[in-house]
Amino acid sequence: MVNESAERHTVLFDEHRALGGRMVPFGGFSMPVQYESILKEHDAVRKRAGLFDLSHMAQYLFTGADVAAWLDELTVNKVATMKPLQARYNIFTNERGGAHDDVIIYRLDEARWMVVVNAGNAPKMLEYLTSRLPASVEFVSKHGPNANIAVQGPLSVGLLAPYVDVDVAGLKYYTCVECAVEGTPAIVARTGYTGEDGFEIFVDGEAAVRIWRALLDAGRAKGVVACGLGARDVLRLEAGMPLYGHELTEEITPVQAGLAWAVKFDKPSFVGKGPLQRQAQADQYARVVGVKSVEGPPLREGYVVKCEELPMGEIRSGAPSPTVGANVGTALVAKAAAAPGTRITVEVRSREYPAEVVALPFYKREAQR
Amino acid sequence: MAQPQGLLYSKEHEWANVEGDVATIGITDYAQGSLGDIVFVELPKVGARVDQGGNVGVVESVKAVSDLFTPLGGEVLEVNGTLEDDPSLVNREPFAGGWMFKVKVSSLDAQRANLLDAAAYEKLVAESEH
Repeated sequence: MVNESAERHTVLFDEHRALGGRMVPFGGFSMPVQYESILKEHDAVRKRAGLFDLSHMAQYLFTGADVAAWLDELTVNKVATMKPLQARYNIFTNERGGAHDDVIIYRLDEARWMVVVNAGNAPKMLEYLTSRLPASVEFVSKHGPNANIAVQGPLSVGLLAPYVDVDVAGLKYYTCVECAVEGTPAIVARTGYTGEDGFEIFVDGEAAVRIWRALLDAGRAKGVVACGLGARDVLRLEAGMPLYGHELTEEITPVQAGLAWAVKFDKPSFVGKGPLQRQAQADQYARVVGVKSVEGPPLREGYVVKCEELPMGEIRSGAPSPTVGANVGTALVAKAAAAPGTRITVEVRSREYPAEVVALPFYKREAQR
Repeated sequence: MAQPQGLLYSKEHEWANVEGDVATIGITDYAQGSLGDIVFVELPKVGARVDQGGNVGVVESVKAVSDLFTPLGGEVLEVNGTLEDDPSLVNREPFAGGWMFKVKVSSLDAQRANLLDAAAYEKLVAESEH
């Protein structure tokens, strides 16, 4: 067992323990991988709603007139074109076009921005961003003092609305609002990582326990449950969303990860633009694809993928998918094996199991906003 | 929960129910609870010779792959084919419908000395939970 005391605790740590959460080290924090059952938590989010503690993710606030131009240079997607209260997925790249981190950037008003980075990348990103910080930009880290509670699932609007002093039902997908939740100033964003409708609440840690308990108590009779990292991973994988360290790394570029839609080559310049442009144009790169296997064990990171007995790449993420009713995963494979419909095999414990390359995502909710 | 009486237990959280020279083998309630939702079980082949404590298969939950060890050595007589279609039976009924395989045990008395009774296993679980 890893000594839990070596890991940081979020403000909701005691809540997780009280709910029977199984705590595991994740991104420098001790986080619940599950409470009662990953499959039950997954089911709650797809059909009802689930609560997630995302306080391990770092919330960085930047203020100044030069923030947009600065971030535009460090990332692949457009920053300056964002309107106040808009949220946008983005990727910080290295000189080779690989990914330092994938993030969501929130524009709070003309001059104030929030960047939410992955917990595991937080030390690296803190150093990267602060060492390049323009003199005119003010930086505050809320990593630790602030909490992030995500409410995800079809019942999210009804569950959250009574606690917020603005109309959350009217909030558009990938926008946010500064408001009060249970009387405490907060940012509520219609963002998530599950493929369902939902919200993320960025709020001072002092209020987080009260909000967490209120939402959980209000939702309990409707089948709303607390959800851990295990369910979150299955949900995001089904929704075709990348997880840093798996589909995106310092070596695996956004182009390879199938995230070219977020790479804006019409920006005059950004870190890694040249290599990414050449990679995209040559179109010979290994790429991330969806993999589905109906028989055999779950797909897991590192399993070798073959096509006509030739090694073509490896599994990067995998899980049994209750929604699809099969084992699903992603693989980084050579272009020759990347077309949907390609018959492949996955090697598990020296045995080959049949699988198929399929288009991502595995799941898309019907009533897309 | 109390451990079922009359079974033999291993420190790796398997149980064996010995009737004559045939042992029915599975994993304990504590083991299934630790693993979480079980989604795949790989069992030994019928006819295979297995040694006490040997790695004879795999139990996979949503998040993890765990080795399956046999608490008793001998010849594999039968495996629970139901688990191929419904591995979650191990979660629901670890000591009943979730049994995994049967072994024709060789030299039971020598092997038995390496296993625990219900009370000793109960103590082991209580210690593991702290």
